[in-house]
Amino acid sequence: MFNHMVEYAQEQLNRVFSAVADPTRRAILRALARNPATITQIAKPFPVSLNAISKHVMVLEGAGLIRREIQGREHLCRLEPRPLRDATAWLDHYRQFWDVRLDALESYVARKVKGATRKGGDHDRAH
Amino acid sequence: MTELTENSWRLSVRRRIPARREVVYEAWIDPLGIREWMCPGDTVSAEARLDVRVGGSYRIVMKGKDRDHVHTGIYQVVDAPSKLVFTWTQEDDEVPMLVTVEFLARGDETELVLTHERLPGADVMKRYERGWGQIAEKFGAYLAGRIRTAGTPGFKK
Repeated sequence: MFNHMVEYAQEQLNRVFSAVADPTRRAILRALARNPATITQIAKPFPVSLNAISKHVMVLEGAGLIRREIQGREHLCRLEPRPLRDATAWLDHYRQFWDVRLDALESYVARKVKGATRKGGDHDRAH
Repeated sequence: MTELTENSWRLSVRRRIPARREVVYEAWIDPLGIREWMCPGDTVSAEARLDVRVGGSYRIVMKGKDRDHVHTGIYQVVDAPSKLVFTWTQEDDEVPMLVTVEFLARGDETELVLTHERLPGADVMKRYERGWGQIAEKFGAYLAGRIRTAGTPGFKK
């Protein structure tokens, strides 16, 4: 069932949502979506310390959004899109949840209006 | 590709409903109404207890064939007949989310815009949870922050 999937993935999903809530981390992901890069390369456009960027990368890694490969003395970071797809599945789940309920809301309201119009119609004829 | 902004964690559903917005709004604050339309598809029935005022809580139980789904939350904005904002917590998803329902008058019809969003860092907030007031307060600060920093990269000292 989808619900089990939701429960199972919940913690992971929370990490993804927290990770991308930060604008610097989003910028890092956008850069990595274009090309894999080393921490030094990632840090270049940001007016913050290498250490700060390294911490952001660790958060992204913890959320499973980045995979690190060791190449010689450098760590090459790659974007891992799978958790983002899970997050999209979460959104789709709720979109469907509300779509179905708003359909029901629409027919409920239609029944109400119909009932009211019938009463209103009688009222009009009385005039 | 998912766009990497906070907006990706928020979804909007837009509906044109052929009824005046007072009628549509009423369907959201009337427990009898909620009971009827909140249980479509494989939901057998729904129960609703609503205290529709700012700070008031609601509890909706959707009874499924195998299990019940309990949804609870607190009303944040109650502005009849144009807007409702409430937190949304599911028993199996303890992180509160936020649902905003706007009822826009379109002549004799209503355009309903529903936004369902996840509060960034909500799991962190939960860890330090000291009641709903604080969450609402932090969410207010988050909203203000989002408006201030919209579109600009974050620079930390």
